[in-house]
Amino acid sequence: MPEFDLDFTLLLVSSGLMIGLMYALIALGFVLVYKATDAINFAQGEFVMFAAIIAAAAMGAALPFWIAATIALVGMIVFCFALERVVLRKLLGRPVVAVIMATIGLASLIRGVATLTFGAGVRSIVLPISDDPLFLGPIMLPPVQLVGAVVSIVFLAGFTWFFLKTRMGVAMRAVADNQTVSMGMGINVQRYFALAWALTGVVSALGGVIWGAMLGVDNQLPLVGLKVFPVVILGGLDSIVGAVVGGLIVGVVEALAAGYLDPVVGGGTKDFAPYVLMILMLMVRPYGLFGRRRIERV
Amino acid sequence: MRHLTAGTLALAGFVVGGLWFAGGADAQQKEILIGSQCDRTGPTQLVGTIFCPAVQDYVNLVNSKGGVDGYKVVINELDNNYQVPPAIEEYERHKQQGIVSTLIWGTPQAEALNPRLEKDRIPGTSPGFGSAAAANGAKYPYLFPLAATYWSQGAAGIEFVKDKLGGSLKGKKIAYLYYDNPAGVEPLPILKELQQNEGFELRTFAVPPPGVEMSAQILDIAQRYRPDFVLAHLFGRAPSVMLKGLKSSGYPLSKVLGFVWASSEADIAAAGGWGVAQGYHTMQFVGVGDDYPVIQDIKAMYQKAGKPSPKEMETSVYYNRGIQDAAVHIEALRNALKVTGGKPPTGEDMKKGFEMIKNFTLEGLLPPMEVTPADHEGGGWVQIFQVKGDKMVKETEWFRGYRDLVLKSVNAAS
Amino acid sequence: MFYREAGVFKTSYAADMALMPLPNTRWAVVALAVLFIGITPAFADEYTLSILNLILIAVVGAIGLNILVGYTDQVSIGHGAFMSVGAYTAAHLITKLHAPFWVSVPAGGLMAAAIGTVVGIPSLRIKGLYLAIATLAAQLIIEWTINHVPWVSGGTQSTIQVGPPSVFGTKLTNAWQMYLFLMFFVILALVGTQNLIRSRIGRAFIAIRDQDIAAEIIGINIFRYKLWAFAISSFYAGVTGVLYTYYLGIANYEQFQLDVSINFLAMVIIGGLGSTLGPVFGAIFVTLLPIVTRRVLESAGGLFFSASDLSAVIPSLRLAIFGGLIIFFLVMEPEGLNRLWRNIRNYFRVWPFSY
Repeated sequence: MPEFDLDFTLLLVSSGLMIGLMYALIALGFVLVYKATDAINFAQGEFVMFAAIIAAAAMGAALPFWIAATIALVGMIVFCFALERVVLRKLLGRPVVAVIMATIGLASLIRGVATLTFGAGVRSIVLPISDDPLFLGPIMLPPVQLVGAVVSIVFLAGFTWFFLKTRMGVAMRAVADNQTVSMGMGINVQRYFALAWALTGVVSALGGVIWGAMLGVDNQLPLVGLKVFPVVILGGLDSIVGAVVGGLIVGVVEALAAGYLDPVVGGGTKDFAPYVLMILMLMVRPYGLFGRRRIERV
Repeated sequence: MRHLTAGTLALAGFVVGGLWFAGGADAQQKEILIGSQCDRTGPTQLVGTIFCPAVQDYVNLVNSKGGVDGYKVVINELDNNYQVPPAIEEYERHKQQGIVSTLIWGTPQAEALNPRLEKDRIPGTSPGFGSAAAANGAKYPYLFPLAATYWSQGAAGIEFVKDKLGGSLKGKKIAYLYYDNPAGVEPLPILKELQQNEGFELRTFAVPPPGVEMSAQILDIAQRYRPDFVLAHLFGRAPSVMLKGLKSSGYPLSKVLGFVWASSEADIAAAGGWGVAQGYHTMQFVGVGDDYPVIQDIKAMYQKAGKPSPKEMETSVYYNRGIQDAAVHIEALRNALKVTGGKPPTGEDMKKGFEMIKNFTLEGLLPPMEVTPADHEGGGWVQIFQVKGDKMVKETEWFRGYRDLVLKSVNAAS
Repeated sequence: MFYREAGVFKTSYAADMALMPLPNTRWAVVALAVLFIGITPAFADEYTLSILNLILIAVVGAIGLNILVGYTDQVSIGHGAFMSVGAYTAAHLITKLHAPFWVSVPAGGLMAAAIGTVVGIPSLRIKGLYLAIATLAAQLIIEWTINHVPWVSGGTQSTIQVGPPSVFGTKLTNAWQMYLFLMFFVILALVGTQNLIRSRIGRAFIAIRDQDIAAEIIGINIFRYKLWAFAISSFYAGVTGVLYTYYLGIANYEQFQLDVSINFLAMVIIGGLGSTLGPVFGAIFVTLLPIVTRRVLESAGGLFFSASDLSAVIPSLRLAIFGGLIIFFLVMEPEGLNRLWRNIRNYFRVWPFSY
């Protein structure tokens, strides 16, 4: 094990925290859908990629950044509405396994269609900020990650407030709890499902633009979506706070593993460590740190 | 609804069935068929989208000048998406169509196809990838790497660094940054042996696939380890991420050498442009740029047809490699025709044709490679180009490093 | 008319419980056997045989996954990883101990089943979709382990070359020999699964799928049977991996990654969950899809795309069609292709009457 170097560790931790917040942003989309509709969205990564491609294509057509981002936002909302209407509504009442498999199919579909319509190859999204990192003592902060972290925090706070304080938020939570009773209370369940998916679209658009700027936009981007699972299992499938905390934990664990474990084991622990954590969590506390204890044990 | 579904499916079935039998090109008279597996999609698409058109372009050029001794060359291209079962199925399809040689794509594919190539006696080329042990022509008679294998690249890299650091590596620190898959890991034994012989310190940094997240490794290299030189063996998206990362961490790119798949204009463009990559050294096994007669010929061919030069040429690193892969097949065909006296060659004749390749440089584009029945690699030549201004400038002539050590390993392996 | 059960009277319990009670079925099976085992390998060309071989291997894997997903209703996205476990186990046995196929195939399967049990124990204790996520993690962790542990992966290339299997002393180097070899395993898998479903274990699986609370009440230990289902399906996956190794000639983990797992899931869904023929249809369909798409586009694609774009289009088109079909079958026809087959069969059962 290489010597413990404080400066280096601080670097790793700060980098991990910021990336963790960006993971949380994607996880947020996932949690929104699960909270409202009980469905697990395996296509979250593809949503992010799709949004990124729309934004990148718009920028490629020489549109300024803000317009491109707005187009991506609107595009994703439309897409999610359509998705809910055409596919997901038909799967209501089917076992939840069916929805999972539908989202798996959806993931392939999006990947194929995106490459078909927009072509292969890498595109870039250029944010209207500088490229040089800020240095705070030993800590290095790339602006892209800073922006991502800030956006994450803003939206996470926003959504928490939404679910706790606004009428629509409370209605959505009711729908997630018990559809039949909600319908009995006069809540239009279908509309709230649509709303939940639309919100996921919004979050995916944000995630897409930022992750696209950080990593470049190509059809490998959905792999970032796989990281969602350790985050939500650690934090709790239906908890927004959990998404944040889970994201931070995963981000830091990854960074530390890459910095300290990799040299010993020869690499790759970064990908693998969050999943090990996830399995441990599944064994000990399957509903996560902040999730509600709704899991039935066999 | 049920009837509709059944009816539509039946109709679809008929249409598909009809079109199944209509497709594909088989060998005709006075035509030689060469198979090509080339991935324009999948994890290697960055290379394939440039490489594969180049292969077609070169063959078109040759045909426009009358073909090879009167024979028209037809290349049947198929994409295997970097998966082995499709590669095998496509090879069988090509075989059915009557190919005499094939371009392989992908390291596991080369391994899987090897026994079949041997059984069917059809030679296959794998320039710049594939297992390094395949350079041994005696053990792998029908596999032709025909370009510096990863072992040769590793050895040449160390040789170059030694030269750059003043002739001796004793006590110096070298970082090996690599993509964590079998191809990335392959140079390690050579590097470790050279470390013992030359007395330098070697630290390895693995980047997990898909190679887009390596901030910890970059931080480690730039801030903590601070080596005297970095050897980067990366693919796909990873090189551009590395360039961006090292630049913004303040590590000078003039101390970084990228191996053959980390060294194209596309990587530099994806990293943010020439300005970001100043000083970066790139290892090539084919010439770079368009200052070669063959490239000018292809441009002329396009002009005559009233079309602009293909934009793939801008990524000349991959484009020229496509030219090389096609060119060696054509040259082997020429040699094979000499052997058969003008009759259509078989796969075995093509194999002999490959082994006769000598001094075939396409006026400087290719290294002075020499293929023999024992050495299917052609010599392991590489050339280093450096990023200066807005293009890559030739830094060294064709050279190879520690050839004896590499040959020893090749013979010891397999 | 072709499928009449009229006039068939059983005179013993054994006859009633037989796998193929109707003489019609027996004749059909014999005819199919003659066609697929006798005629095809003799007359088909190498290219067709290579496609058929791929399909046969996929059938074994799909049948295995169907036991888990179709009959016990658990989602697993880690099928590919268990295949690679089987593949590498067999490859080591073959290269180091020169194990014959009748040792390496079961050994690969058993190793995969063992690892499957280990993965299943923590994840099957909780109901719902956690198995899906846990198997995703298993897929990635197993991949990583194979890539990084040299004594598993066989060296830096992570590829182990194996020679062709030998049956009774002759090496199987021809395509049709390989075809018969694989067909043997397919028949074994089909018959084995049929019997499994009719047995006590199989009925327990179906009970768990239909109403797990009721199943628990009548005394079925849900956890144990789910674990059995997972282990059995992993066994099939391991065997599939070994067969792939024999067919491809190498064991390489890059062939068994996440998209392969998703492929098999698609085979089971499109083919029809919870039937024996379903996975067969699904395997044929999904394996042929990229090949057929390519051939169709080769002939007709010139109308829509230019030549260079064409080769780029095909894999994306395949992905899109693939995903679209999964959704289509889930939404429209949850019983998949098998339902279509049943419809055709039932139609002929009462022909020329319509009901």
